[in-house]
Amino acid sequence: MTEISRRNLLQIMGAGAVAAVGPFGMAGKAFAAGRAKELNILCWEGYNSAQVLDPFRGSEKATVKAESLTNDPTMINRLRAGETNVWDLINVNNPWARKIMAPAGLIKPLPKAEFEPFFDKMLPEFKAPYKWAMSDDGKDLLGMAQRFGPYSFVVNTKKISRKTAEEQGWDLFNDPKLAGKYGILESDDWNVFNIFMVAGINPFKEHTPEEMKKFDETAQRVFKGAKMVGDIATMNQALISGEIDCHLTGGTYSVSPARADGYPEMRAVTPLKGPIDGKGGISWIEITSTVNNPNLSPLATEFLKYVQDPKVAHTVAFAEGTFNPVAQMGNKSCFDLFTKEELDAIQYDSLEEEMSRSAEYDIVPDYDKALDIMTAAKRLRG
Amino acid sequence: MADVALAAPRTESQSAPKRTVAIPAGLRCASPVILFLLLGFIAPLLTVVAYAFATPRSFDVFRSFTLENFATIFDSSNTVWMSFAWSLAFAFCTVVLLALVAYPIAYGLNRVFGKWSGLISVLFVFPLFVSENVRLYGWTLFFIKNGVLDGTLKTLGLAGGPEVLFTPGIILFGMVYVYLPFMLFPMTLGLAMVPRDLVDAARDLGAGRLMIWREIELPLAMPGILIGMLLTFVLAAGAVAEAKILGGQSVIMITHDIEIAFTYSQNWPLGSALAVLLMIIISGLALFVMSKLDLDRILGKR
Repeated sequence: MTEISRRNLLQIMGAGAVAAVGPFGMAGKAFAAGRAKELNILCWEGYNSAQVLDPFRGSEKATVKAESLTNDPTMINRLRAGETNVWDLINVNNPWARKIMAPAGLIKPLPKAEFEPFFDKMLPEFKAPYKWAMSDDGKDLLGMAQRFGPYSFVVNTKKISRKTAEEQGWDLFNDPKLAGKYGILESDDWNVFNIFMVAGINPFKEHTPEEMKKFDETAQRVFKGAKMVGDIATMNQALISGEIDCHLTGGTYSVSPARADGYPEMRAVTPLKGPIDGKGGISWIEITSTVNNPNLSPLATEFLKYVQDPKVAHTVAFAEGTFNPVAQMGNKSCFDLFTKEELDAIQYDSLEEEMSRSAEYDIVPDYDKALDIMTAAKRLRG
Repeated sequence: MADVALAAPRTESQSAPKRTVAIPAGLRCASPVILFLLLGFIAPLLTVVAYAFATPRSFDVFRSFTLENFATIFDSSNTVWMSFAWSLAFAFCTVVLLALVAYPIAYGLNRVFGKWSGLISVLFVFPLFVSENVRLYGWTLFFIKNGVLDGTLKTLGLAGGPEVLFTPGIILFGMVYVYLPFMLFPMTLGLAMVPRDLVDAARDLGAGRLMIWREIELPLAMPGILIGMLLTFVLAAGAVAEAKILGGQSVIMITHDIEIAFTYSQNWPLGSALAVLLMIIISGLALFVMSKLDLDRILGKR
């Protein structure tokens, strides 16, 4: 057994600490210096696919890592928890950049002169200054738009006609006869919006106790009556097998894989009317922003330019997972790349009218309270 | 060589001053591993515990201290206890069912299947090479309306398969299916520890099958059985995929609640508090059961 003095012990502990931290510290320096050929993207699925990333990796000879998540709050949380020094780009739905991330200093503006001209080639509703890409004061460009779509609910039109679904709208889920014949997509933030919609309440405002009580009752009833709560694969499988006739929370984003697989009777529906200033549906628009990373990779802005290319935009629209319209379809050379089958999969025939009937995704001021109520309602299913 | 190297400092130390701290050579040699464990295992665990006492819906870990998260969980209006109850009940039922299902197989692997034992063991291990989610989606396709079972039965002119998908029952089925190897192999090892001579001797002395099982096989195999039970209980109490994929969330497990807290709810402190409580409950239950079972007697030390 060796005996050592206290001083030696402290020296060993100090050496141990250096040994433990040293490599990380040095890696940190190397990390900063070597970021010219490195890009980290936090995104919804699609942007992480090899189809999208490999050509960029090849042309830039860069290491590009992308992590895909399927809800906005988790991604925002990652930045809040201190991962701003990890990520270069964040791809989330429209209100987060303008209302949450920019005020919290989690993202940084894009060079306006370089990026604003891209909006001129997008579909008409995205023309600069596009509201969701701009800061609240309208001075800064906070991100670029690409994928979007209406997102309310999905029906099997062989069981419930499109006309009936559009006319009845959210009341469809208030009909006791539908109990056991519908599913709910496990997208809890969107389910909060949609339970409010079924209750006939505008989700994107502060709610009174009476409205919250109605939300609670509706959540309990709707979740109790659902055949299952599951992911997109489960919903599409259940629709195709006849297990369910429709499902809550869904749109071109979720049903397009089933439509592309040869089930055009599965259709995303936007109600004709609803509680958001008369609008019956809700739509989403993805905004991709540069993270407020102290060592932001120069490739971040290059990647944003790369995905504006018509061919790449088309690849993004049909990357693995889900298929979606893209703002770049406003450019004829991009639109011409879409085949008839692809346009049918993303319901291009009704895209414009469905978007016009939809309110844009927004922040629910009392989301935390509503989510707690909804989670408690889910527990009562068992 | 090692002895020489380790012996050298000992001579030096004999002349060292009295105010010294003794560090065994083994501890010094193990220090890189200890450091690695501290950083990789203990530190995240401590962070989770620290988060449990942080201000709700914040990232003020190690900077704030509050019992608010636990107060929220223990609030009488909070129904999260239902999730704890479901998880523990499912874990308990899984352990009981697995003990009943795995014992005959383990017995067979030791005593009956002979040269086929190796192949049969591989068949039970093989599913572990496939992702749990993929296997569970496979069962979904098997049980879904017009799926493999229902479709085949209808093709044969029968009424069709039972509607079991998206019910609590199928969750239990999924858990028993997924955790079978974790019960089976410790149990098989446990049964392998039973000396054949002892069984033969008992039989020669007139013991019946039941008596041999109760007095010899079961007590001697108990270490393996207990380890299997403990392993499956701990794993099953943290299960979530079965309830989500096969059960269609007909039941919300506690791990699902933790997941919601960390994701949609943006409330890491509450999620951590739930995780800490789950750890306390599971380790507490495990220690309680172990203490009641008198391990020394079971392990044959007395």
